[in-house]
Amino acid sequence: MAARFLEEAGFSTVVLTPSPDFHRAVGIPRSAAIEYPYGRPVGQVGDREGQRKVLMKTLEVLEKAKKPGEVWHLPFTWLEEPKKTDWQPPEMSPIVKFFLEDIKKARQREAEKI
Amino acid sequence: MTRAGDWRIKIVSTQPNDEKAKIVDGFQFIPPGLRAWIRNSIPVDDFKGTIPWTSLLKSINRTTFALVTSAGISLKTDPPFDMERERREFFWGDRSYRIIPRETTENDIEVNHLHINTKYIRQDINVMLPLAQMAEFEQEGIIGRLAPSSFSFYGFQWENIDFLKKSIEPISKKMKSEGVEAVLMTPA
Repeated sequence: MAARFLEEAGFSTVVLTPSPDFHRAVGIPRSAAIEYPYGRPVGQVGDREGQRKVLMKTLEVLEKAKKPGEVWHLPFTWLEEPKKTDWQPPEMSPIVKFFLEDIKKARQREAEKI
Repeated sequence: MTRAGDWRIKIVSTQPNDEKAKIVDGFQFIPPGLRAWIRNSIPVDDFKGTIPWTSLLKSINRTTFALVTSAGISLKTDPPFDMERERREFFWGDRSYRIIPRETTENDIEVNHLHINTKYIRQDINVMLPLAQMAEFEQEGIIGRLAPSSFSFYGFQWENIDFLKKSIEPISKKMKSEGVEAVLMTPA
């Protein structure tokens, strides 16, 4: 939403997003998708070189994207295994708490499918 | 899963002609229950409306940049983003924004966000708001300029568009006044 607003206000935007599917649904002008955990889209703490590489690729998307809605997938892989990567808040977020029953049901349905 | 032919998807590869170019799986890090629930709530159809577009008129080495994040970063000298009200009202998210000057480091900030672990940003602001690298890029001539101000708002805005008026509009005005042409956005 913010990207759409700014683009309309005359800025060229690029969104470095760890959730391209979610952002695709709202119509983002230019996305650089990255398979990094939430809260650290640019890279690991203190990894200046790795962070620079991600940013260079992200800025390239500004020049390369030609049509509204394009998603460019960046070729980086997070070093830790996803299951072992700690990105979640220390306390359960209020909205997750609110929908906890629905989330549990969704998980159960998914498990039954397998 | 082959989506490469999809018009939306362009693949950037580090190696030309790399047939195994990466397609990002945005659900990798999400635990199974939450993943299933989110998948159910995302529309299956592509976005149908018009997507706004401002062409980049110059190469990036002549372009002025600002950074905008939704990570809830505030200066220690400013009031923090309001987490208490969100704890009481599950669907409410702080609509305000903060200016983050370009010389800001992790020593100068607070981070408040109930949907991520904020400790990494407090250890190194650049994992979310890469001010140091953009300043380096400016020095090296990779970008034209990094504007004096970058910005943070708060990303949890459940079906709420007030924040556009309360935050994004004033951010946009400030950016115009600083000659910003392109914006790198990093959602939390």
